[in-house]
Amino acid sequence: MTRVSIALAILAAVALTGPARAQDSQFGIRGLGTPGRWESVRARSTGGAFAPFDAFSPLLDASMADVPHVAAGVTGGASWRSVGAGTGTTTLRGTRFPAFVIGGPIIGRLVLAGGFSTYLDKSFGISTRDTIDIRGNPEPVTDEIVSDGAVADLRLALAARVHRRLALGLAVHGITGGTHVSAIRRFDDSTNYKTSTIGDAIAYHGFGASASALYDVSADLRFAAWVRNDTKLRAEIRGRTVTDDDLPFSFGGGVRWRAGTEAAIAGAVAWHYWGGGGLNAHDTFNWSLGTELGSPASPLRFGVRGGQLAFGPGAKAPTELGVSAGIGKQFSGGRGRLDFGLERLERKGVGLTERVWTVLLGLTVRP
Amino acid sequence: MAPGACPNFCPGASIETVDTILRDVIVRDSAYFGYISASEAPGLPVADLGVPDSRAIFRTVPLFTRVTNKAGDTTTVPITMDSARLRLDIVRRDTTATNLWIKLYRVPADIDSTTTFAQLVPSFTDSIIDSVNVSALLTRPLLYDSATLAAWGGDTIQTDSAGHVLQVLNDLSLALFIHLDTAQARFAVPDSAVVAYGVRVAADSLASIEIGSNEGGRGTELVWFYTYPDTNAAPLHATRSRGALFDSFVFNPPTPPLDSNLAVGGSPSARSLLRVKIPALLRDSADVVRATLILVPVGPVPGARGDSFAVFARPVITDLGAKSPLSTNANFFGLTPVHLNGAADTMRIEMTTLIRAWARADTTAITSFVLQQRPEGSSYAQIRFYSTRAPAFRPALHVTYVRRYAFGTP
Repeated sequence: MTRVSIALAILAAVALTGPARAQDSQFGIRGLGTPGRWESVRARSTGGAFAPFDAFSPLLDASMADVPHVAAGVTGGASWRSVGAGTGTTTLRGTRFPAFVIGGPIIGRLVLAGGFSTYLDKSFGISTRDTIDIRGNPEPVTDEIVSDGAVADLRLALAARVHRRLALGLAVHGITGGTHVSAIRRFDDSTNYKTSTIGDAIAYHGFGASASALYDVSADLRFAAWVRNDTKLRAEIRGRTVTDDDLPFSFGGGVRWRAGTEAAIAGAVAWHYWGGGGLNAHDTFNWSLGTELGSPASPLRFGVRGGQLAFGPGAKAPTELGVSAGIGKQFSGGRGRLDFGLERLERKGVGLTERVWTVLLGLTVRP
Repeated sequence: MAPGACPNFCPGASIETVDTILRDVIVRDSAYFGYISASEAPGLPVADLGVPDSRAIFRTVPLFTRVTNKAGDTTTVPITMDSARLRLDIVRRDTTATNLWIKLYRVPADIDSTTTFAQLVPSFTDSIIDSVNVSALLTRPLLYDSATLAAWGGDTIQTDSAGHVLQVLNDLSLALFIHLDTAQARFAVPDSAVVAYGVRVAADSLASIEIGSNEGGRGTELVWFYTYPDTNAAPLHATRSRGALFDSFVFNPPTPPLDSNLAVGGSPSARSLLRVKIPALLRDSADVVRATLILVPVGPVPGARGDSFAVFARPVITDLGAKSPLSTNANFFGLTPVHLNGAADTMRIEMTTLIRAWARADTTAITSFVLQQRPEGSSYAQIRFYSTRAPAFRPALHVTYVRRYAFGTP
């Protein structure tokens, strides 16, 4: 078995462990979902600060301009989340396969890239207890609302270095996906009352476009900027439109400074105008700061991130603060790279606190 | 699965349960009779409550009157009857009944399925041949000596001074053995030894039992004890068993003819066919979690207090009116007991599984069901319900359903 196949096996093992129904955040339940992170393991290990400069993070299309050969990167992760609401705490686990990027030069300096990433995670399962009055008697019931699925961002991007200091990128985004949903009511008096299970499948459609640029002020200092506009997210059940929600206009930027050949530091910011996405939607601002130290063949990474979450109750957006670390390891003479990362997040909103450990595994290969 | 922190961290929509009585979903109904006659009943009800009064009757299989007394010989000799022993199985009784008497009468040997209660009144008046106090027999000591056990198939018995024998069987039913002499069991050669008997019951109260029948596999049995001459020695003894060729019951008053109401039970048994129109609200936007059929009886069902039968709702496979074939899928059956001589309270039959299946089926599905008695045919009692022709008391469906969840709404 080659080292590449060992790495693929490890990645598959991580991706396939855990419950089939993953859950990403309680904050997304009463909203459009939990927005995905357009970051590779490398970028996420630096708190997301390196995402604008990382060709295999599906955030910024212009970063593909410097990919010299066809290459592909995939990201997977598993998270353990404790949710504290009121006096109780629940532990949940989820597995993700959130991003895949492939691209390479096609004509001259023009690079074509594609792939998918999680746009909105819509998997959750909640259980509630209640007592209702039926036929003049109080009947205890247990309700379960389950949603399993996600909305993916299918990206087709073009990038080119138009000047030795400037790279530009453009992309179109097909936003599509689906969820299997079910609402189950169980009666404690199962002799007289049958369990009700109502299920359906929801299809989601949307469209978006993005543009980005990288500008090198010097050999060590690079700036990045990106802008993206997504239209509406249409939800359909059996061909009938049930909702038509606004998707955000987003933009952001970053800066990276190389302090020699074995150290780099970066920072990034992003704004997402989710405010039209429903009652609990908020406009968000997020920031990140990270560093990559050591040789490019096996660097160490550290990062910190903070900001707001797009969905949550109340007038004020829930907040998020996280730290992360990771390592990378090249193999096969630089044709492949494995990245490992560990992330700790804390999300706080009105009446709820989530703490998340996430183990990340990424693989980048150049045939 | 996480516990929901509602309402802030739960979906905006909620699961809503609705409870309603649908008064117009039973759209057509009919009653039919003649399914199981008294002579086809799986049990023979015997009761003496004044009104009603029910009596069992049976006629035995003929017996040969001559035998050959030497192997290979074609010459026959007449048999001489010594005695007989009658076995009656009491398959149902009220254990609280006191001073329970079984009375045996001789009835004409030409009884058949057309025989009426009135025709047998004379026989039940002056032809009593024996009576047994079952309550007293049950208090007698159990006999379990080896000779008794050997003679009675390993079972203990209870007996009285008149020679009546009682065995309590594994299912707590009773086997009663009555010894009959030649005056009680008349061996009439012209009749091929066919005998016919009737059974009445008496008690301080609750005089109501059920005797086993051929159709129920517990038919009466008469064992003849006879002798025939040997060629050169003392007469030889032999026995031969004869079951009931015909068994039935007669009762008074007879079941009244059908009217505009729905009828279930009686003899010959009646059934009612009800056709359901599943409303659109159950088909398109709901999940039925409980469905209860509501029936209003026309009045109390006469009979012995403590006796009961069940009214059974069974879907039909195809709606052919009186001859509709019935489903055998027990998952879809509904059942409720009817207590005789009780209050005429509204009856409810749980039919959740059936109504739920119909609500999920396409609109071409047959949505009719039959109400029948269980056990069918072995009771003189018949219950009648108001039909759709009585608007104030027509059959209705009490439905609890969960509304379609508003998926897709954040």
